[in-house]
Amino acid sequence: MNSAPATRSAGFWAEAWGRFRRKKLAMAALAFIGGLVALALFAPAIAGTKPVLCRYKGQLYAPCLGYFDRRLEPAIFAKDRFRGTYPTNLAAKDPESWAIWPLVFQDPYRSVRADEWPGLPANPAKDEGRPSPRNLFGTDQAGVDVFAKMVHGTTIALLVGFVSMGIAGTIGIVVGAVGGYFGGWVDMVTSRITEIVMCIPTLVLILAVIAVIEKPTIWHTMAIIGATGWTGIARLTRGEFLRLKGSEFVMAARASGAGPVRIMLRHILPNALAPVLVPITFGIASAVLLESSLSFLGFGPPPPTASWGSILNDARSNLAMWWLVAFPGIAIFLTVLAYNLIGEALQEATDPRLREARK
Amino acid sequence: MAAYLVRRVIFGLLTLVVITCFVYGLARNMPGTPLTVQLGETDPSRKFNPEDLERMKRIYGLDKPWPVGYVQWLSSVARGDLGRSISRKQPVATLIAERIGPTFLISGTALLLAWLAAIPLGLYASARSGRADERVSSLVLYVLYSFPTFVAALFLQIIFAVWLRGTGWELPLFGMSDLPPGAPWLARAADVARHMILPVTCQTYVSLAYDSRFIKANMEEAVRQDYVRTARAKGAGPWRVLFGHAFRNTLIPLVTLLGLSLPGLIGGSVIIEQIFTWPGMGRLFFESIRERDYPTIMGLTLMFSLLTLAGQLLADLLYCAVDPRVSVE
Repeated sequence: MNSAPATRSAGFWAEAWGRFRRKKLAMAALAFIGGLVALALFAPAIAGTKPVLCRYKGQLYAPCLGYFDRRLEPAIFAKDRFRGTYPTNLAAKDPESWAIWPLVFQDPYRSVRADEWPGLPANPAKDEGRPSPRNLFGTDQAGVDVFAKMVHGTTIALLVGFVSMGIAGTIGIVVGAVGGYFGGWVDMVTSRITEIVMCIPTLVLILAVIAVIEKPTIWHTMAIIGATGWTGIARLTRGEFLRLKGSEFVMAARASGAGPVRIMLRHILPNALAPVLVPITFGIASAVLLESSLSFLGFGPPPPTASWGSILNDARSNLAMWWLVAFPGIAIFLTVLAYNLIGEALQEATDPRLREARK
Repeated sequence: MAAYLVRRVIFGLLTLVVITCFVYGLARNMPGTPLTVQLGETDPSRKFNPEDLERMKRIYGLDKPWPVGYVQWLSSVARGDLGRSISRKQPVATLIAERIGPTFLISGTALLLAWLAAIPLGLYASARSGRADERVSSLVLYVLYSFPTFVAALFLQIIFAVWLRGTGWELPLFGMSDLPPGAPWLARAADVARHMILPVTCQTYVSLAYDSRFIKANMEEAVRQDYVRTARAKGAGPWRVLFGHAFRNTLIPLVTLLGLSLPGLIGGSVIIEQIFTWPGMGRLFFESIRERDYPTIMGLTLMFSLLTLAGQLLADLLYCAVDPRVSVE
């Protein structure tokens, strides 16, 4: 009677991953997002005017880290009055020095001046910065290279999705889990709160909140998107918890003396996670869309921060500069598309009902 | 039924109070007041002196803390008065009435076009499910669904207003009409229609993509039901099965979707109206935030939330009306 299988059967997630992997488009989308992560991590090495690695006065430095945080830029270069111009200063102040430069010598925050790099002319400004071998994606009105801006803006595009949905996912799962597990008046309260937040027109609220903040940064935008985008996740989590709390494994856990927090986290949540991940993935797509439309409307982070949406905003004043629309526009589109494709494949891979539909 | 409605309405009113209170608090805490924001824009010689500013503040009720101001606003709304716009010197109700028409012109046309195209497209996709032509059309719709409206709007503006300038295909970049108010109505209607083409296109394609995918998903669910198998077994033709049996049963979720699209119909789209400088509700909201025009912000917030609530209630009621198995209780 005891027919224990010789090999352990694959777990739920391994099986879901196997199904996910068969979808070529979704895998391409996953690879695309992976590429964006790499682009964001290596942005200072891809486009910048600060050396990736240099030897100066007998010491090794990595000034390119200054693009992640200004404090990471070695103080010696400020002391020696480099003023952000490395190539000529390095050669002039220490003839022995050497440096490894980023692939593209262009800065995301300022226009490159003439002869900053020996023999390199200044970036074209106004509406003359068409895409060229030197400025792959052209330059904006101030002469700043669009390719460099976009490479450095990748960080924001990724962070917005993950941070805001991290916030929304946490709020949504906690609210939904508490309401669904405890039921009764607790459920009453959490459900009503969810319904009220659902009725708030999101864009209205976001514009109002951003107008309140004196100096809005990208982190504010992410926090607001997260704080308003959790309702769908909460509803789904509540449904899953309602369904699972009466099941036998929960009863068994309770009988063995597990407390409510332990039951919710260790027993119910892992079983409820798959359906909840789907709206989170779609939420990432809409968060990216929302952030770029806010930046586009001029409600995004203040100027030096490069966000794809804010490049589009620059294009509005001069539509003849088509390259300011085409490149960031396509980047936003592809990112949103990739998250949507991943979300859909995740849904099909984890939902047994949809699998039957495919026969 | 009556008890259900009363409960819904009471909860709806409570929701409205919570939302408007929150937005009022936010609005009053925005840096600058409508008076100082206006000051910054006009020339310094017309600056109010401090006494005048105090007097103005008193007139508009800005001298009291915001909770008091909110209660005052709430009580006047309860009496049917939305107040007067500070920056535009007009009653808020008049402002909204002026803007509702243009918004409806865009969103109504877009909604109608989207549904007219989405139903045949969705049915076509489910009838040809799995074939090459269906895969291509579904892929195109999927791509359109992910294409951001504001990017599409910019692309269309570049093509039709910049590249095609001077040709017969040129379309106006923004605004609603270039003709003076005295022009013959036929010419004006044609002019407004020309201005409408780009914004309507932008607003249509997203809902078209979403709606037809929604219809197809529902149809796929429906054709797996037993009654569809029965219909096939009794010898009904493929089109009869699709229309007479499967599609009729997918009308229920469609009706819900229609109810939920109500807020967008009158609320308009902030982004589209902003790009095409279309004088609608969304743009009015955007402008009133910039001008710190509290009465207008509040009037619009109230209207948007009211519409959302009404849309949800309508969707639930319609759901009960078309599906006798569902009861409101």
